[in-house]
Amino acid sequence: MMLSTWRRLKTDRFGMGGLVIVAFFAVTALCVWTGLLGQGWSEVSGNRWESSSVAHWFGTNLLGQDIFQRTLFGAATAFEVGLIVTIFSIVLGTVLGGLAGWYSNSWLDEVILWLKGVLDSIPFYLFAAAIAFALQGNRWAMHLAMIITFWTTTARIVRGEVMRIKQREFVEAARAIGLPGITIVYRHVLPNTVHILLVQSTIVFVAAIKTEVILSFLGLGIQDGVSWGLMLAESSQEVLAGHFGNFVAASVALFVMLMGFNLLADALQDALDTRRTAT
Amino acid sequence: MSAAALNVKDLSVWIETESGRRRIVDNISFSIKSGEALGLVGESGCGKTMTAFAILGTLPATGATIECAAIEINGRDISRLSSSQRRSVLGRDIAMIFQQPGTALDPVFNIGQQITAVHRRHVGGGKDKTRQAMLDSLSQVGFNQPGKIAAAYPHELSGGMRQLAMIAMATVCNPAVLIADEPSTALDSASRALVLQQIKRLQEDHGTAILMVSHDLSVIRQSCQNVMVMYCGRLLEKTDCESLFSHARHPYSAGLISCIPQIDAAKQPRIKAIPGQVPIPSELPSGCHFAPRCGHAIVQCEQSVPGFATDSSHSVACFRPL
Amino acid sequence: MNKHHQQATTPLLEVHELSLSYPHQENAIDRVSFKLEAGKTLGLVGASGAGKSSVARAILHLLKPDAGAVLFDGQNIFNMDHDTLRDARRRIQIVFQEPSSSLSPRRTVKQTLLEPLRHFAIGDNDYRQSKIRQTLQTVGLDEEVLSRYPHQFSTGQQQRIAIARALITNPDLLIADEAVSALDVSIQAQILQLIQALQQEHGIAFLFISHDLAVIRQIADDVAVMYRGQLLEHSPAGTFFSQPAHPYSKALLSFASFNAPAQLKALQATVEQLPACIYADRCTEKMPVCERLEPGIHNIRHKNGLHCVKCHLYDEKNTNDS
Repeated sequence: MMLSTWRRLKTDRFGMGGLVIVAFFAVTALCVWTGLLGQGWSEVSGNRWESSSVAHWFGTNLLGQDIFQRTLFGAATAFEVGLIVTIFSIVLGTVLGGLAGWYSNSWLDEVILWLKGVLDSIPFYLFAAAIAFALQGNRWAMHLAMIITFWTTTARIVRGEVMRIKQREFVEAARAIGLPGITIVYRHVLPNTVHILLVQSTIVFVAAIKTEVILSFLGLGIQDGVSWGLMLAESSQEVLAGHFGNFVAASVALFVMLMGFNLLADALQDALDTRRTAT
Repeated sequence: MSAAALNVKDLSVWIETESGRRRIVDNISFSIKSGEALGLVGESGCGKTMTAFAILGTLPATGATIECAAIEINGRDISRLSSSQRRSVLGRDIAMIFQQPGTALDPVFNIGQQITAVHRRHVGGGKDKTRQAMLDSLSQVGFNQPGKIAAAYPHELSGGMRQLAMIAMATVCNPAVLIADEPSTALDSASRALVLQQIKRLQEDHGTAILMVSHDLSVIRQSCQNVMVMYCGRLLEKTDCESLFSHARHPYSAGLISCIPQIDAAKQPRIKAIPGQVPIPSELPSGCHFAPRCGHAIVQCEQSVPGFATDSSHSVACFRPL
Repeated sequence: MNKHHQQATTPLLEVHELSLSYPHQENAIDRVSFKLEAGKTLGLVGASGAGKSSVARAILHLLKPDAGAVLFDGQNIFNMDHDTLRDARRRIQIVFQEPSSSLSPRRTVKQTLLEPLRHFAIGDNDYRQSKIRQTLQTVGLDEEVLSRYPHQFSTGQQQRIAIARALITNPDLLIADEAVSALDVSIQAQILQLIQALQQEHGIAFLFISHDLAVIRQIADDVAVMYRGQLLEHSPAGTFFSQPAHPYSKALLSFASFNAPAQLKALQATVEQLPACIYADRCTEKMPVCERLEPGIHNIRHKNGLHCVKCHLYDEKNTNDS
């Protein structure tokens, strides 16, 4: 089943392009984490605002740090934020959404929906600021803020899907032999939401990275490292002085990676969809 | 000899499959005179619904192409019209009713609005004339209180009522040809009997030529004078209904007929069935498509395709007809 | 073996005064009672919405009734202890209408067939492997289907897989809920052939739910008719088809032969005042008492077996000249 999706995905040139881009950035992130690349991101290795040269491929920033190194590290940060937020919010959203959907119209459903409603109505950036403040500069404050608010979209989608799947006869068949609810949910219902979750993951990943950019502008972003958002924030001053290195590097990197993800997400959705209609 | 109301010549439909282009409707020809009903019977996937859509020229878009020599309504070829020309033909000269009346009707408009929309588009003549035509079409399909029905929304009507409303909508402009695609399949037995009765009335009172597409041979037998049996895109047998039921010549037709559960026959000790299953379009057997499942097949059946004489009174595509 | 050692008095399944209402629908099942002997087939007929599927789900313990009982081997399933209920669940299985949605899409055929065996802790690994092989053979499928997923099969094959899943626990009772309604005529015949073999060679009792009387004719020993939640007639199949008692049964048979009703109710009534006899407003043989008083269930003495009908026409008190 995954094979036929893969086969279909392979024929979508844009999708494969997206996959290649994402893979490229993923490998870069991996290299940074394992210490192979981007280690000089905080080093003041040159004069301020040097233009690009052999020593500094993208030039240097305000403090004389190598922009290229910082861009590489930014990829790692993007993936760190993206992966952590995506994995946790998807899991949380699936569990809560699944419970709400399976026990729909019960008190449990009402509670989860209420919680969702409350979180959805809090202006996100205020909320992120509040958490950052409450956790007093903890490095994970930003991730936590995102996880706590992002799970709601996944939960809503999963809840709807679970409610639909519940009606299908194969679920009735499982009930008829006496399988307990939990077993039915993880064995029969949730596997049929995988296609939705896959697409949702790419969407959340993109949202997380974009959110990080804005949080960095607000000074609530990454504390001990560099991200493209932070670079963009820094560059807002530099651009006024006529130095675009930082800005261009971060924007282009951000744009290319998000574009890659979007292409991949669309292609994935198509590849998964055709499988559903073919009998 | 009256001209045919509908004349289809050499109609084929090609689709893209995983293993290349395949014909799912393979060179079909037939004609229907006005006041006559022709049944097109076959199982799921045989191409009968595609045939109906191809005649209208409205194929679901995904990579399907139509090829034909001619599709003539009262002598006028509609197969090569531009899309705007075709739009003026659909609903006026030829109309179609579908299997699922619930989804074929727009839920946000009431019945009257939907029917008058059709009339306004093709005939016009002012609000009063249109409204009268709409009410007439509703009473012609058997509604005693057409005004009440006209004011109702689709969800307020039962399945049978919706189907009758759809028939009213299809016939308000008095088309020469009506294509009915599984009109009674989704209905309960009472509605089914009523809908088929009304379709018959249309044929008798208005001289509408009817092409009834169905997988249910007993429905075809009830409603049509003539019948064509289709399998994997090809016509296998064509004759009048009585001849088919009394003496089917193609093994597939005979098999289908023996499969039909009879309500007035005593319980059979052994239920009969045709072995095997319908091949998918990308894996059609060479020669006669039915040969692998046929109890009468000979070597020749898998090597060449039996011819089908379109003009004889009982045509059969078989090297060893029964 | 499934041959049940039948006690003279205890039927395999007895539904007794079963009543059930949904939040949006009162009396979806209204005091329904019937018996089913081991190895016999009861055809449960009626239009959609009559309550047939609800009865099936109540028997499977998927719904809790408001009143009444379902006795399996003499014991009320709603009062059973955990282990007895588990065993009852093993012995009662169901096949649904839509084969494509009755099989779990992300599970292979092997996983689907193993699940009931594992859940009921039937046999050891060797037994399970051979039981799977044997069951596939019974339903006419090849072993290579085991590693595939449901969507890779045709509807006929999917239904066979669904039947295999139902058979794998050696059930005594199989509920077929419109199990052939979504199938083409030739596939339907094949599945009915299979069901006939299961009846004759395995002695499985069937509760066969269908709206298609012709199909019921083929395979049922007895027929029970439901209308709006009530059971109106219950008779041996031969009698039902030759001498139906209830006016509704007569109407159903008439519609099945394409005799249209005089008129259908034009609009779905929103809030209905149901008459005392639930069928009175459509009955062609209505008497004054039918509006006032709900009919009791009357037994017609018949050599073929029990024949009950819920109708005033058969109440000796009401018939002056019989």
